[in-house]
Amino acid sequence: MTPIFNSTSWMMRQVIYALALGVMAAYYFFGWGVLLQIVLGVVTAIAVESAFLALRGRDVISSISDGSVVLTAILLAISIPSIAPWWVIVVGVSFAIIFGKQLYGGLGNNPFNPAMLGYVFLLISYPLQMSTWQIDFLSLSQALDVVFDLSNIDVISGATKLDEVKNGLSLAGSIQQLDLHSPSQAWINAGFLLGGLYLLFRKVIFWQIPAAFLAGIVISSILLSVSNTDLYLPTQNHLMLGGTMLGAFFIATDPVSASTTPKGRIIYGFLIGVLIVIIRTFGGYPDGIAFAVLLMNMTVPLIDSFTQPKVFGR
Amino acid sequence: MADYSFNGGIVISNPYPVDKVEIIQAPLPKKVTIPLQQRIGERAKPCVSVGDYVLTGQVIASTKDSFGVFIHASVSGVVLSINEQVIPHKLGLKSQCITIESDGKDKWIDNSGCGIDFLHCSAQTMIDYIQKSGIVGLGGAGFPTHAKLGKIKQCHTLIINGTECEPGVMCDDALMQLHPREIIRGVEILLHICGAKRAIIAIEDDKQAAYQALLMFNHNDRISISQIPTKYTSGAEKLLIKALLGVEISSGGFAVDRGIACQNVATTKAVFDAVVDHKPLVSRIVTVTGSGVKPNNFEVRLGTSFKSLISMASPNQKAHDYRMGGMMMGVDVADIQAPICKITNAIFVNNHIHKPAIQECIRCGQCSEVCPVGLLPQQLYWHAKSENIEKAINYNLFDCIECACCDYVCPSHILLANYFSFAKALNKQQTREQDRINIARERFEFREYRLERNKLERVQMMADKKKALKEKMAKEQSQKQKIAKAMQRVQQAKDKKNDTNI
Ligand code: SF4
Ligand code: SF4
Repeated sequence: MTPIFNSTSWMMRQVIYALALGVMAAYYFFGWGVLLQIVLGVVTAIAVESAFLALRGRDVISSISDGSVVLTAILLAISIPSIAPWWVIVVGVSFAIIFGKQLYGGLGNNPFNPAMLGYVFLLISYPLQMSTWQIDFLSLSQALDVVFDLSNIDVISGATKLDEVKNGLSLAGSIQQLDLHSPSQAWINAGFLLGGLYLLFRKVIFWQIPAAFLAGIVISSILLSVSNTDLYLPTQNHLMLGGTMLGAFFIATDPVSASTTPKGRIIYGFLIGVLIVIIRTFGGYPDGIAFAVLLMNMTVPLIDSFTQPKVFGR
Repeated sequence: MADYSFNGGIVISNPYPVDKVEIIQAPLPKKVTIPLQQRIGERAKPCVSVGDYVLTGQVIASTKDSFGVFIHASVSGVVLSINEQVIPHKLGLKSQCITIESDGKDKWIDNSGCGIDFLHCSAQTMIDYIQKSGIVGLGGAGFPTHAKLGKIKQCHTLIINGTECEPGVMCDDALMQLHPREIIRGVEILLHICGAKRAIIAIEDDKQAAYQALLMFNHNDRISISQIPTKYTSGAEKLLIKALLGVEISSGGFAVDRGIACQNVATTKAVFDAVVDHKPLVSRIVTVTGSGVKPNNFEVRLGTSFKSLISMASPNQKAHDYRMGGMMMGVDVADIQAPICKITNAIFVNNHIHKPAIQECIRCGQCSEVCPVGLLPQQLYWHAKSENIEKAINYNLFDCIECACCDYVCPSHILLANYFSFAKALNKQQTREQDRINIARERFEFREYRLERNKLERVQMMADKKKALKEKMAKEQSQKQKIAKAMQRVQQAKDKKNDTNI
């Protein structure tokens, strides 16, 4: 009836395009492993989703073409270490799609963010594989070797900055003695930030969640570091380390599992930001985005019912 | 410029723009078919018979219902039939209609109204003329104008709605450009009827020609002309009032209760004709637009078939998608033999539209962003779909104006507004059923009560009778005793006398 200016697949495609900058930055620093994980994830996602849709007697092509599983796979693939063995992403994506989405009835019905569910599952089941990141650029053959465990090559690997902070702090005793400098993470975050701004510009996502998310991080980290500059990470590092920008613009904004009212989005985003800082600071895991998002996913029905907008004339 | 606005709504420019807005006089139709059922009120009763000769403007059906309006012949000619005919409806329903074959002469009845110096007429006389001329809201609502005007008390502001109800519709724009004088005079008539201090004509800011035309003819300082931003749904009465006056009419409330009266510009022009010349409503301006025709406005006689009107707008071969009303709130019409009615403001004729597949809701919230009423369409949809109407009502289902803004932006192409009208209908049905059950229960309870009462009454009656009988017996007894005593006394006296005599 009306001129169609968007569709679910259009929206998903925009999100995928917007991820490109950050992915390119990651590729620049870490090489082919990044892309390999994405390919593995996407292929697995399509296979698993198709199988499930076929089992449920749904139209496979039209559901796959909405792009949502591809997006889930990409988000998970860029959240895990690019040198993780191939089965990690395969298991993670399968889990995300089966338990995070299909068992709830497919697109639109899942209360949790599937990618984050898959991530947490992996983190708990395979902590070693999930915490080893490489330091330098890998060529295609090197990446294939590592990911598929073809031959024994040595990759210089290590922990992420946030991990280092956690471990280093217990040894050094003061933030100031640590090297918080990480150009790779800063650039990747910058890439996702730009991509996120693009999404805002195209009106694919609303401003409330990312703005409140970042505000939550900024405010709570300032409060902490004011209380003790030696112990707590400064705000700018919170913003530029780990998956902050990816989380703010691409993960917390997943429409299906996020709050849907304008006020609700602010509360939802803000509390995710606060939780991230708390988990990073006091929790056992280095980056708290997945946990924070899943925790807040649970509160969405409550938030939504308390933040209904004012109805005209009422 | 209006200073106030409301949230939501969408900006859609005319999808089928024209260089110059005009009104083409459609040739006299050979045959007109006029439905007797108006939008609301009871169906009018024909007062002509098959074979009668009627004049243009002659009353052919009337009703005593206060919401009813008179129905007039829109051409002169012979009544061909009074029977069931197709009406504009998405299922191609039929309804009672009068069909008149035109004699091609267009002979009018003699009529005279208040004349151009109408101020000597009383408001009631004017309202009578309006009712007798069959005027209803021509913006699409079809509410009888006399009934609306009759309800107005202590009106301070009259709003004339010159915002085109929907993108693509141009009939009001054309009317304002080409008949500004009649509209301004019509506003003066309405001011006279409802006694308001001032009138505001609201025009969207993309209709500069219409604005200028009205401005030029307006010499009345009680009438002002206000431009409002071009945004879909600003034509909705309550939203328009909000945009113009900043007054928010409460949910379930009416503008008239706040002393505000609203009329559409086309209705205003019809009021002018009705009051000044007592000229009944026999024609209207219809926009014919869409990808399948050359868009234009036509002044047509009511009862002309969609088909013959569309044929005047040079339809192309591929055109076969028909919709009455606008692209947002209109309804698809199954059979284009259906006649143009008073509320037919536009016909959209499109080449086949590829309707995109409907997908699952992804809770993106785009729909609540555009809802001008501030609803959460996605939640409503959720409950409407599962027929949990009670929940939907909690989410203010009945505040939905079915503007379809939410449909327009939904990336999953869900026809949300359809669900909402369905849910409302379902609820009406349920309440009707509940009413029926209630009535039946009340009847039953009343019967029980009546039986019980009868029984009690019978018992009481018996008791009363018994008591009466007893009393009677007692009375009789005492009488007997009295008599006996008297007799005794007499006897004693007799005896005494006898004794003394001895
Ligand atoms: S716009 Fe459509 S897909 Fe988005 S929340 Fe509303 S109903 Fe769901
Ligand atoms: S149709 Fe109803 S729910 Fe949808 S935008 Fe219009 S008023 Fe809101």
